[in-house]
Amino acid sequence: METFLQVLVSGLMLGALFAIVSVGLTLIFGIVKVVNFAHGEFLMLGMYLVYLFTTKLGIHPLLTSVIVAPLLFVAGVVTQRFIIQPLMSARDDHIQIFATVGLSTALINLALLLFGADIANTPSSGLRTPITFGPVRVLLGQLVILAVSIMLVIGLQAFLKRTQTGRAIRAVAQNRAAAQLMGINVNRIYMLTFGIGAACVGLAASMVAPLYPTSPNIGTYFVLTAFVVVVLGGLGSLTGAFAGAMIIGLIDSFAGFYIGSDVREVVVFGVFLLILILKPSGLFSNRLSLSHVSP
Amino acid sequence: MRKTVTDSTLDTAMTQARPNTLPWKRIGLFTAGMLALLIIPILIGDQFVSHIFVTIFIFAGLSTAWNIVGGYAGQLSLGHAIFYGIGAYAGIILMNLGISPWLGMFVGAAVSMVVAVAISYPCFRLRGPFFSLATIAFLEVFRVLALHFRELTGGATGLMIPLKFGWEWMVFRDRTPGLLIAFGMLMVALGVAWWIRSHRLGFYLVATRERESAAQAAGVSTVRVRLIAVAASAALTAMIGTFHAMYLTFIDPSSVFSLTTSIQIAMFALIGGIGTIFGPLVGALFLVPLSELARGWLGAQALGLHGFVYGVVLVLVVLFMPNGIVGLTGRFFNGKNDEKKAQAAPIAAAARASRPPIGNDILVVDHLDKHFGGLHVTRDVSLTLKEGEILGLIGPNGAGKTTVFNMISGFLKPSSGTVKVRSEDGSMMMPVTPGDFAAIGVGRTFQIVQPFAAMTVEENIMVGAFHRHSDVREAREVARETAHRMGLGHYLDAEARGLTIGGLKRLEVARVMAMKPRILLLDEVMAGINQTDVRRAIDLMLSIRDTGVSIIAIEHVMQAVMSLSDRVIVLSSGQIIAEGKPQDVVRDKQVIEAYLGKDFVHAEA
Amino acid sequence: MLRLEGIHAGYGPTTILHDVSLEVKRGEVVTIVGANGAGKTTTLRTIAGLIQPTEGRIFFEDRDITSMPAHEVVDLGITLIPEGRQLFADMTVEENLLMGAYRREARSRQAETLEHVLSLFPRVRERLSQSAGSLSGGEQQMVAIARGMMARPSILMFDEPSLGLAPIIVQQVFEVIEAITSTGTTVLIVEQNVFNTLKASDRGYVLENGEIVLSDTSESLLTNDHVRQAYLGI
Repeated sequence: METFLQVLVSGLMLGALFAIVSVGLTLIFGIVKVVNFAHGEFLMLGMYLVYLFTTKLGIHPLLTSVIVAPLLFVAGVVTQRFIIQPLMSARDDHIQIFATVGLSTALINLALLLFGADIANTPSSGLRTPITFGPVRVLLGQLVILAVSIMLVIGLQAFLKRTQTGRAIRAVAQNRAAAQLMGINVNRIYMLTFGIGAACVGLAASMVAPLYPTSPNIGTYFVLTAFVVVVLGGLGSLTGAFAGAMIIGLIDSFAGFYIGSDVREVVVFGVFLLILILKPSGLFSNRLSLSHVSP
Repeated sequence: MRKTVTDSTLDTAMTQARPNTLPWKRIGLFTAGMLALLIIPILIGDQFVSHIFVTIFIFAGLSTAWNIVGGYAGQLSLGHAIFYGIGAYAGIILMNLGISPWLGMFVGAAVSMVVAVAISYPCFRLRGPFFSLATIAFLEVFRVLALHFRELTGGATGLMIPLKFGWEWMVFRDRTPGLLIAFGMLMVALGVAWWIRSHRLGFYLVATRERESAAQAAGVSTVRVRLIAVAASAALTAMIGTFHAMYLTFIDPSSVFSLTTSIQIAMFALIGGIGTIFGPLVGALFLVPLSELARGWLGAQALGLHGFVYGVVLVLVVLFMPNGIVGLTGRFFNGKNDEKKAQAAPIAAAARASRPPIGNDILVVDHLDKHFGGLHVTRDVSLTLKEGEILGLIGPNGAGKTTVFNMISGFLKPSSGTVKVRSEDGSMMMPVTPGDFAAIGVGRTFQIVQPFAAMTVEENIMVGAFHRHSDVREAREVARETAHRMGLGHYLDAEARGLTIGGLKRLEVARVMAMKPRILLLDEVMAGINQTDVRRAIDLMLSIRDTGVSIIAIEHVMQAVMSLSDRVIVLSSGQIIAEGKPQDVVRDKQVIEAYLGKDFVHAEA
Repeated sequence: MLRLEGIHAGYGPTTILHDVSLEVKRGEVVTIVGANGAGKTTTLRTIAGLIQPTEGRIFFEDRDITSMPAHEVVDLGITLIPEGRQLFADMTVEENLLMGAYRREARSRQAETLEHVLSLFPRVRERLSQSAGSLSGGEQQMVAIARGMMARPSILMFDEPSLGLAPIIVQQVFEVIEAITSTGTTVLIVEQNVFNTLKASDRGYVLENGEIVLSDTSESLLTNDHVRQAYLGI
């Protein structure tokens, strides 16, 4: 029973981690309709920035989010403006896929050039402190991630529902041509959205870096799971992504413990493939979802 | 910039002269180029240069194989390392059991084909990035499984090949035999790619990629042709994988089942020119030396440099030359195609044979209902088409005419009701899929034209002609003849995307006519063509009817409806509101009301 | 107020409009009549900036707006109510209406305009908190018109407002359009329901195969044989 509880809680903590990484991905997908294969590399970039700010300037990792998130916002805007936007009208999907795949390849190798293949450890600054609730043990940093991911989803949801800009973002997602007819500058909305999506992952980097070692390939590791989460939750749905992340966290945790830690990925990707093939619109058809997109 | 040829005799003379002679000049150029690629490294005799060329051949081969799926079929697989890995493991595992990799290669190919078909069948429902994501997920599953089953694969420690040298074991102390084998494999891959591209399968693949529904209407079994392509591609990839494993002498799961490898394979094709025969080779020729030289000269300091360059080049190519290097040169040489703005020539007015009598029922539609949720698109639509008859289907916008067409050609499943078609042997059949309808002789056009944009006019029509002629030469003949009949004779070599709307409408009709259908469903083929051409199109349709084809035509050009139709059915808000002789129907009060509004009827009175 | 001079436009390499010139004066109600595929919708989309013309010029209040992007055209006060409603289906009716007032000039007077528009559409008021996608076709058309009015446009363009609606609803739609035109709003309308539309308008243009073949007052068009032929072939 105690083990079961521990596995359960570990699963939820892992879920929170997946959630915070996936939110930006689902936002970009839901609105710009681009599957950003470089999303994981944005995370990796953010984590290296956190590493630099903590080790060179001695800033607390959580505080780095104040700088890292805006920097990634800029990176997102630039990506949208100079790589995605020229391709928005492209006839084939393959063009956009290759553009972000190319960006991803370039970023991974840039990190390899700059930082080498070795692992960079961000100081944990107390975030690895274990906290025990009865038989269950979690890290302080994990609780922070859970809290921040919940706040992020609620905050973004409110932004999209309550503000004029947020509504404009949803309008663009639902009907691009009609949005233009309302006087919305669609390209600007896309840039803004891509920026916000990238900023989310910058925020995530500040929480993740103290707990996980940073390496050029760390993005690939996270982003594949993030794709699973996004598809599971219904593309473009924030709450769906959160719920999907929790489910994947639990599956990962339980499969790792009860089946074997080396095949848990097989279980996770198996679930992914089943969902993709059987119910491509995701498990949750949520009222708050951003769009109707299905593959 | 060339003036459009208007002299028709000259034009036909040219088009007839072209196909019968093989392009010897190009074949010569190709042979010389390929031989040079092989001879240069042998002459130089340097280990490192040989290595670079072997790597070029291998990646060019892999990329050529990938291109069959990713380029021709347009399914962007990022999981091709699965097949590469299966080939590699099959080769080494069997070699450890004392079986030559020459045999192991085929075992790997066979396993890969089975895996490829099993993976792809469910994944073909996914489009664009989702297909790519699914292939990545499968790749990860294979990597993890390879790590897990240690007894077979050696797990994370990997597998070494046993030290057996010689041709029998595909392992050599000398570089030259490796060079020869790699070159041979590249040639095989190129040969297969060329064969596919120049035969019916290739036409079908490209048509499916361009417009799946139009391909289905032309009788293409889109799933089957894609599976064949995937199987061929996987087999080639696995065979090259086997050799590469022998060449590298060591493999482990993370290096063979690698996303990076998958991406590289696809990247070479894209940079060289996706969907072209030589694009992948050109891409590999261009990029492999770059990375190998960086690795060789700069060593560990430049870790990541070549990958960085790959990524940047890929982004730049995508942004500034989406057709790749080959596309760039292709445009330079074939610029005239793009310049040809085809304002199609008059439709040849055919001499009309005497009209065969109207015969038995050939298409019987009973009580068709279609609703999407609560929205009824058609209600209780019943109609009958007789052999040799032209039935006009008219009605205001949004009346449900195209929905009826979709249901009587297999593109939409009716909510209730049946569609029966008389087959050639006289029995009534109930076809279900678009393929069934095509097979029984129902051909259709689409209201919103669906050209295979990247194909020429001739190739577009050939896709239809392949329905009855599997041979390329025969199909080409039929396509030409049909094109001339439809007034498209001058534009055989023009890309379909360059045609005017009138030209595209004709192309739709030409493609379906090349299928030699017994029942023809025409959806607004006269919209957007000028008055004189309407007259000619009417004559053409009558001559088609006189050859015994039965026709249902949705049409807004009333002049055409009036002079063509034996009977007219009027659809409004999804229901049949009138049926009868054209002259009677247009005087029907309900019909006028449906078209012009209630008050018009009163104003008349 | 709005003037098209020799417009050529289309999609990609396909040209649909050939040398279209037309004019709408302030306070006028103008109709474009034509068969399916004649280029009516293309004309409106070109004016709205969704399609860039390949040749010709468009002027609005003597300002050249030929190559202006759609969102800037809206800012000038030209609003298109598109064919097929094009509502934001997952958003509430109220949110849809608020999006209508996104234009800078309309945003500050949003609340006032909303009150005015809702007084014209009592049925829409009842549906404010429902999602737009859950409404019937007729209600959706009303919302689309109301959304267009939320922009406080100087010229309102309708693209097939009665398309796919039941006859009773069509009558209601026309009542609403008449109510709008009676307030002096300039209107350019494309409709297959020729009679009702011409009756409600001052002038009309007949479009065939992307060319203007006829232009006259509504009364004379109503009795014109050519118009009747274009629609019924009688």
